Amino acid sequence: MKRYDLIVIGAGPAGLSAAIEAAKCGMKPVVFDENAKPGGQLFKQIHKFFGSKEHRAKIRGFKIGDDLLKEAEEYGVEVVLNATVIGLYPEKEVTVKIGDEVKHFKGDAILAATGASENMVTFKGWTKPGVIGAGAAQTMMNLHHVMPGQRVLMLGTGNVGLVVSYQLLQAGCEVAALVDAAPRVGGYGVHASKVSRCGVPFYLSHTIMEAEGDEYVTGVTIAEVDDKFQFIPGTEKHFDVDTICVAVGLSPMSQLLAQAGCKMLDTPGGYIPECDEFGQTSIDGIFAAGDVSSIEEASSAMIEGRIAGVSIAAAAGYLTEEERKEQCGALESALGSLRKGMFAPENRGKILKETEEGIEISTNLLAKGYVAEDEITRYPGFVKKAGVHPVMECTQNIPCNPCQDACPKGCITIGENITSLPVVDVEKDCIGCGMCVASCSGQAIFLIDEEYEEGYASVTMPYEFLPLPEKGDTGTALDRSGKEVCLAEVVSVKSAKAFDHTNLLTIKVPKDMADKARFFQR
Amino acid sequence: MGRIAEHPILGKAPEKDTVTFIFDGKEMEGKEGEPIAAALKAAGVMVHRYTKKKHEPRGIFCAIGRCTDCVMIVDGQPNVRTCITPLKEGMKVQTQYGVTAKEEGKGAGL
Repeated sequence: MKRYDLIVIGAGPAGLSAAIEAAKCGMKPVVFDENAKPGGQLFKQIHKFFGSKEHRAKIRGFKIGDDLLKEAEEYGVEVVLNATVIGLYPEKEVTVKIGDEVKHFKGDAILAATGASENMVTFKGWTKPGVIGAGAAQTMMNLHHVMPGQRVLMLGTGNVGLVVSYQLLQAGCEVAALVDAAPRVGGYGVHASKVSRCGVPFYLSHTIMEAEGDEYVTGVTIAEVDDKFQFIPGTEKHFDVDTICVAVGLSPMSQLLAQAGCKMLDTPGGYIPECDEFGQTSIDGIFAAGDVSSIEEASSAMIEGRIAGVSIAAAAGYLTEEERKEQCGALESALGSLRKGMFAPENRGKILKETEEGIEISTNLLAKGYVAEDEITRYPGFVKKAGVHPVMECTQNIPCNPCQDACPKGCITIGENITSLPVVDVEKDCIGCGMCVASCSGQAIFLIDEEYEEGYASVTMPYEFLPLPEKGDTGTALDRSGKEVCLAEVVSVKSAKAFDHTNLLTIKVPKDMADKARFFQR
Repeated sequence: MGRIAEHPILGKAPEKDTVTFIFDGKEMEGKEGEPIAAALKAAGVMVHRYTKKKHEPRGIFCAIGRCTDCVMIVDGQPNVRTCITPLKEGMKVQTQYGVTAKEEGKGAGL
């Protein structure tokens, strides 16, 4: 039986981060992962992450994954792939299936970073080919470059459902509708808005009655549900789709920890191990980090992993208590700032009626996926002034602030509190560079110039689709709901390395459409 | 379904050699090393297997090797998770009925 200083189960964001920190301190960690490639789900995340500089905000997930692998290599972290840990024992031993063999290892410490698996709901026909998890869609399109379907219906409006719907559009699929049994959009409003303005309808308080088709999905019928989630007769709606994507939450994969006898907690967020502030379970030397200990985002999983790595190294005597405190302190403050805003632990399960600033939350956003025209004016990012200027349609408290650093003229302020709504200072002169537009992970910033030409305004928007329109193209402007509102002409298309594939598309629309036009369709 | 030749964020799909494999006796093309399931998806194949008792069709579901819905018979071996098994030149991929390759009349293979 081989012995290691530290055995990490799972080479995703949490596990790799922990192994890197432990290796930095001089430990020899090994990471086992059942997959053929390391990185967990990071390489499927092609959107820009929220956060601030220290969390690597506005960087796309797969780039963060690349950097993590480089760092692991640099510190000599041993990663064993195609290695499924099938047993975890309180004596800090694991059994690992590698090929046709089961091998036995012992660690001075063990970290379970096994992540989470997708939840499922059942409905008539849910087992038919064509009903897939949202993660499967991401895997097919973002890793294997294959379209999951031509025409897709998405069930679930949490962040996964919203982000994957947008990614389906980017892959060239048509998204027929976003459906959720809950009466409110579950994820961030900015993620909903960027799907909505592309013309995807939202059906809240609706769920799937039946997936149709003999051999595989050829259509789907949804219907409205009452407050007891019972179908309301006569509200059925049919869509011709070949794919139904299910995004109804994640559950921690904590089976190994339960098997080892760690004290477990049955929470609304799943069956999780009870952990102390360092990520140690009730069994001395067995730690947990990332989604297995609580479903959050990859950014928090990476920090949790680093905290666990540092704590494990300290417990093994590789760091003094002072060094541990110093390193963990900085990590904990970074983690604390990510755990703020509408999805902060203290807000779980709560229906937020107003922002931290006391501004009423858009009811239209929650019910239909976009902020109504008469609602948007009450947020501090929505301003009017002569000449080109940013209009920021960021209406919920998100732990994210790259926009304020992006503006070279200081037009945008979020301030000390990372979740504050952005404020646009109309006294400062916007130069129309568009750095803010490209920096916004929520794609919620537009540049508006109401005096672009006599009778015409210009609207600059983030654009991440192919084929990229060209200057001189004419088409239709869509409003926040995806409804066609007027003719539009493309007057500028800017792409730059600093924008990281977020192109800036500027269209010319009649002046009275400046506050309406938010998307362009050829 | 089809392949994504160029993606707004990921750019052009990485170049991989085209390989030929046999799906239920028919010659098909895929990319070397991609999951068998991805090649089948790109070729429009939806059904990977039929369940043993009720003969219900199953296809890709989780695409990460967890659910086992996509298992097929690959080079004679049943229950191969096609979503995580890399495609190779000349592979023989068969629809799985229960745990066997062919449904030989009612009751057979059950």
